[in-house]
Amino acid sequence: MASKAKNPDYAALRELFRPHIDSFDYFLDEGLEKALLSIRPAEIADPSTGSKLRISFEKPHVLPPMREGRLSEPLFPFECRQARTTYKGEFRVDVAFQYDGGVVVRESFNFGHLPIMLKSKLCHLRGADPQKLVFHKEEATEMGGYFICNGLERLGRLLIIQKSNYPMGMVRKSFRARGAGYSDKAVVMRCVREDQSSVSLKLYYLQNGSARLGFWIRGREFLLPVGIVLKALIDTSDREIFVSLTCCYNDKYQREKGVVGTQLIGERAQIILDEVRTLSLLTRLQCLKHIGEYFQPVMDGFESESHETVAEAVLRDYIFVHLSNNHDKFNLLIFILQKLYALVDQTAAPDNPDALQNQEVLLPGHLVTIYVKEKLQDWLSKSRRLIQEEITKDKSFELKNLNHIKKILNRNSGSVGRAVESMIKLGRLNTASGLDLPQREGMTIQAERLNYCRFIAHFRSVHRGASFAKMRTTSVRKLLPESWGFLCPVHTPDGEPCGLLNHMTSTCCVASFYSSDGKIKDFLKIRMSILTVLVGIGMTPLTPKLERAGPPEVLHVLLDGCVVGSIASGKVEKAVAHLRSLKLFAVSGIPEDLEVGYVPLSLGGAYPGLYLYSNPARFIRPVRNLSHSSNGSQSIELIGPFEQAFMEIRCPDGGDGGRKESFPATHEEIHPTSILSVVANLTPWSDHNQSPRNMYQCQMAKQTMGFSSQALKFRADVKSYHLQTPQTPIVRTRTYSKYCIDEFPTGTNAIVAVLAYSGYDMEDAMILNKSSVERGMCRGHIYQTETIDLAKKLDRGDRVLEIFARSNDRKMKSSIDSDGLPYIGETIHPNEPWYSTYNTLTSVTKPTTLKGSEPVIIDYVAVDGTSSKNYMQKVNIRTRRTRNPIIGDKFSSRHGQKGVCSQLWPDIDMPFSAVTGMRPDLIINPHAFPSRMTIGMLLESIAAKGGSLHGKFIDATPFATSKDANQDNPSKPYSVVDELGPLLASHGFNYHGVEVLYSGVFGTELTCEIFIGPVYYQRLRHMVSDKFQVRSTGTVDQITRQPIGGRKRGGGIRFGEMERDAMLAHGAAYLLHDRLHSCSDYHIADVCSNCGSVLTATTIQPQKRAVREILGLPPARAPKSFTCHACETSKGMETVAMPYVFKYLAAELAAMNIKMELRLSNSAKATE
Amino acid sequence: GGGGGGGGGASYQRFPKVRIRELRDEYAKFELRETDASVANALRRVMLAEVPTVAIDLVEVEVNSSVLNDEFIAHRLGLVPLTSDAAMAMRFSRDCDACDGDGQCEYCSVEFHLAVRCDADQTLDVTSADLRSTDPKVCPVDVARALDADPTSYDSTAADQRGIIIVKLRRGQELRLRAIARKGIGKDHAKWSPAATVTFMYEPSIHINEEMMETLTLEEKSSWVESSPTKVFDIDPNTQQVVVIDPEAYTYDDEVIKKAEAMGKPGLVEIYPKEDSFIFTVESTGAIKASQLVINAIEVLRQKLDAVRLQEDTDLGELSAHLHGGG
Repeated sequence: MASKAKNPDYAALRELFRPHIDSFDYFLDEGLEKALLSIRPAEIADPSTGSKLRISFEKPHVLPPMREGRLSEPLFPFECRQARTTYKGEFRVDVAFQYDGGVVVRESFNFGHLPIMLKSKLCHLRGADPQKLVFHKEEATEMGGYFICNGLERLGRLLIIQKSNYPMGMVRKSFRARGAGYSDKAVVMRCVREDQSSVSLKLYYLQNGSARLGFWIRGREFLLPVGIVLKALIDTSDREIFVSLTCCYNDKYQREKGVVGTQLIGERAQIILDEVRTLSLLTRLQCLKHIGEYFQPVMDGFESESHETVAEAVLRDYIFVHLSNNHDKFNLLIFILQKLYALVDQTAAPDNPDALQNQEVLLPGHLVTIYVKEKLQDWLSKSRRLIQEEITKDKSFELKNLNHIKKILNRNSGSVGRAVESMIKLGRLNTASGLDLPQREGMTIQAERLNYCRFIAHFRSVHRGASFAKMRTTSVRKLLPESWGFLCPVHTPDGEPCGLLNHMTSTCCVASFYSSDGKIKDFLKIRMSILTVLVGIGMTPLTPKLERAGPPEVLHVLLDGCVVGSIASGKVEKAVAHLRSLKLFAVSGIPEDLEVGYVPLSLGGAYPGLYLYSNPARFIRPVRNLSHSSNGSQSIELIGPFEQAFMEIRCPDGGDGGRKESFPATHEEIHPTSILSVVANLTPWSDHNQSPRNMYQCQMAKQTMGFSSQALKFRADVKSYHLQTPQTPIVRTRTYSKYCIDEFPTGTNAIVAVLAYSGYDMEDAMILNKSSVERGMCRGHIYQTETIDLAKKLDRGDRVLEIFARSNDRKMKSSIDSDGLPYIGETIHPNEPWYSTYNTLTSVTKPTTLKGSEPVIIDYVAVDGTSSKNYMQKVNIRTRRTRNPIIGDKFSSRHGQKGVCSQLWPDIDMPFSAVTGMRPDLIINPHAFPSRMTIGMLLESIAAKGGSLHGKFIDATPFATSKDANQDNPSKPYSVVDELGPLLASHGFNYHGVEVLYSGVFGTELTCEIFIGPVYYQRLRHMVSDKFQVRSTGTVDQITRQPIGGRKRGGGIRFGEMERDAMLAHGAAYLLHDRLHSCSDYHIADVCSNCGSVLTATTIQPQKRAVREILGLPPARAPKSFTCHACETSKGMETVAMPYVFKYLAAELAAMNIKMELRLSNSAKATE
Repeated sequence: GGGGGGGGGASYQRFPKVRIRELRDEYAKFELRETDASVANALRRVMLAEVPTVAIDLVEVEVNSSVLNDEFIAHRLGLVPLTSDAAMAMRFSRDCDACDGDGQCEYCSVEFHLAVRCDADQTLDVTSADLRSTDPKVCPVDVARALDADPTSYDSTAADQRGIIIVKLRRGQELRLRAIARKGIGKDHAKWSPAATVTFMYEPSIHINEEMMETLTLEEKSSWVESSPTKVFDIDPNTQQVVVIDPEAYTYDDEVIKKAEAMGKPGLVEIYPKEDSFIFTVESTGAIKASQLVINAIEVLRQKLDAVRLQEDTDLGELSAHLHGGG
């Protein structure tokens, strides 16, 4: 195989998983430590002695996963998967104790174990080459990026969250519900600290012209008048506030482009200041005291502090937490107020929260960081409470004694690790604060390895949020132009999660804490160098006490949500171009992924300004900067969705895309396929298909039975599908080789003839060649692993109660080995014993029988030897079921053309070609094409035919031709067929891929030429063997005596109302009676004709007569006689056939004190 | 050779003729004339699906620590073509009375053994050459061919004579099994099909309207000749006339007829398939020689006809009574 190079390059593949790993690496490297240091130390005072203890966190230590036991041997992921344990490393933190400001004593505390992401810095597989990975029983392509929890592979769900540190103008009806006088307008800002914890702030506009600053503390929203906050932040004067606020308005400009302020702003500023004055808060100190008094009850750990300290803490912990300097906070608040007023006066448009422009992504590492931080915070405050309780309760307890303290602290330290593990295991956040995240459930998902496409797609999927799934409106699901190049327009499921679950494009990445050379970014340094550059290109830095101007004269410059200065609107475009060119050079000190969000002046458009972002968790993607096109790779610029909306990016198809000459393109797409996700990129010639077909293919690619794993022998997945003989597609896209999909192929090159033959190919059915199937086409297996843990069965007893063992029963010896476990390679049929256990208490050996309806073959038996006991308690038994294609199995091409096998047709009956003698592997109906318009599939057939004759793989990258062909001859329409046709003709075949075929049954020529060629077909995992349902008689419901539902329980298929209607419409009365009565809950009830009751019949005990027993025959049963319990006579007893539910209904009604009476007439009797 | 039919009343008996064009061990090309498509197609169908061969049908795995599972290896073993010259004389195990139908006796089965273990650091290929047959007449075809070519220098371990790969073993892995090969037909399972491919084509009869052809210029002629994807026509360099050089290369694709119509010369050429003349191509898997495959197919076909003829009084009588007499 030509494509099988010695060492395949997995670098491109690795890039797809990087956001996950990078974010967790940062958590280990720096994030955790930063989070710990930002936790406020706890202070405990002993009222009796007056001594004070201060407990604070210092350095954290997370250790690589180790095996339990004294010998510290490394624990490998493979073992965790097999033993159904968690891949986790010990988590210790140095806790510092300080008495009365004296010497600091450090103690290392164990906080349990933290799950370690595979291939992260603490994983033993980090940097391992394929050989080493294979040695450790992993895939050669193991990419990591997920956790192993209880043997299951789980990864963090990438969630869309609001763009950090960007004030977003929003109009929402719900804002009015905040209170009387509130309007529906607000500016919302998600402020993010360096450790990625965030606090959202809302600045509401009041009808009277004022504004309120709102933020949440412990599930409650607090609203502060903005004037108080302004005054509390810095020592300032009313005049200064007034001037700062009104600077964005100038009489000079009337209704010009870019004017955002109106003259109303002066009045509003007055109102804000008046509000503060009416509260008689004049100085900063007064404001602080006011705030402190208000917040003291809700601030934990500030019970004994002064009001000012409380207020300072509120300002620090809840208001603009991304900024540390109060002057910066003040300036930002002024800026946001101006934006709010522009929004109210409609001089600036609201921002769309559903547009990717205003969004970023939550990464798993960041989630873990903030979750651990909160858990440690909780631990500290809980410990503080406990110690305080102990001081008051226990007289012998001494605060001075560190051992006493440690004893208390150790009590609940393990809970931190457990909480994180359970968060990853269940995806549920167990928090009081909500962590400023949109949802608490579904934070992690399981990485299924059904095939590699599905596996990759998990890591590339981005979810909009669970709360949107329930919303009736469809606006969030819309495909907006803002997501161009970042989210794939094709790769989203149809149905319920449509538009909410998107996938990143193949080139899209996420900005991380690491620069391209692998070093952690120093944001302080970066911001400094950006500032120097900005000043150098004409920005006026912001200094306090300086009267400023606003748009359209100057534009404010915000760097990571901090107002750093203003730049004259005439100079800004040059400045932006300069910044962009500096991004391209690493030496400039400007990060390559800096987002230069230049929002130009407009009439009623987005609020203008220059917004620079260097923070991580932003989407980024590469485009070519045309101003530097001369020097190759140097010209690749990373851009974000915020700046993209205001950039001029050309598509490389030769046209200008309707772009006016006044807006020349400054950038160019690298390749048109960069708008597609990895899976969508695998569809050959998807640009020739009708677009929904490509969506269907993305769905089906992820349901395909493929080569799911190369390390199949060492895996213990609960269920995995495996294709026995997969092939590499003849027609493939560039993406296919780029991401080494050959390692995990998913289909077969089947010779497909398009014709109506035998009628068995109607309505998307397809005919398979029986001989092809017998030669191995599309054959597969299902592997299932069952973990049997005998220790778990018991209720917590530490004694060994059950062990695996076999009894000496001859019957069992055939299928069960002496250890009580099945033989490997043995076929076990349903309801046969497959393992047996011995109960040490009752000394009973009990075999367990196989459930299900299919025979299985024992593939593998693994015993967990890690438990300290000498008995085998935990085993994995992997079974295998062969799944050869049969009638009813589902197949699909790569163009959204799915079909069900309707016949396995004998080879000799298939049409054949007189020239080559070829018979097709598969026949599909020509009607599959006209309405679906999957021209790509026809092209694939022609190309694969040419390719196989030529011995070459054919490149079918979508849009490839539009890029290359139009350069030299734009007038001539280009057609792929014109390239493929001559290839076929040169080998003596028809130019258009058709052939003369002969009927296999009659040997005569078919009247039409038949389109025939190889098409890559996928076998989907939906198979009849898992779905067929049949029942004649069986279990019935306990109460109603009707047949039960459900395939697993051997139930029937519901014959519902609509089916009943059809029967009635046909007048098929007897059939109806048969289905709904005779075959359902037919019952002969004894009814008393005197009182009309169905319920009163009771049996009379037949008198004990010596019934003569005839040998060999069952004793003759005395005929049962009934009597009416109510009438106390058996005279009127009659039998009536009725549905049993009717009797049940009578009973239910009786329970409600309603008597149901039946009137029996004699007419039926008369006919007898 | 030839087959024939007979019956009462008017005789439609024909005497088909066979002319062999090319004959190799695994390839045969012959003409079948003076019969019709039903016979030709019956012959094709029988060659593909009803000529018996021997193939591995039952595998008892003793040790298998290779990467492939038991069923996969059994399937691969089944597809290894075995020399089946004796297959016609063998018994189907389902109606073998020597072993009560369990298919393990010498009349209806051949036993194979395979025992390979890899002890070297290098990957070891387990191939068809490792199969040990209990019957020298039945063995994998590639082994048989190598033995035929030069029995003295045959070495089953030589790299170039390793045969069909069944599975690869790494150090410590082992494969030990017993396999039973039985007689069967391709209809039951493709592994018993002796033919890689069998096809026939109708011999075309091509008539060029010379008069009309002469009205064409040389360029037109050559573009017409070029329009056929296969080389059927050519231009005589001397006379500049269009000549048929290889009528059998014609694939009935109608390209030249369409071209003639496009040039405004309908009827320039007329091509018809001859209804009673077929050219067969037979490729064998090697299980039996291509020539023997044809002969065996005719034999099978004759047995089938015999079966019909013997049943004439009983079943067919009933059938005709049913067709004509029934209400």
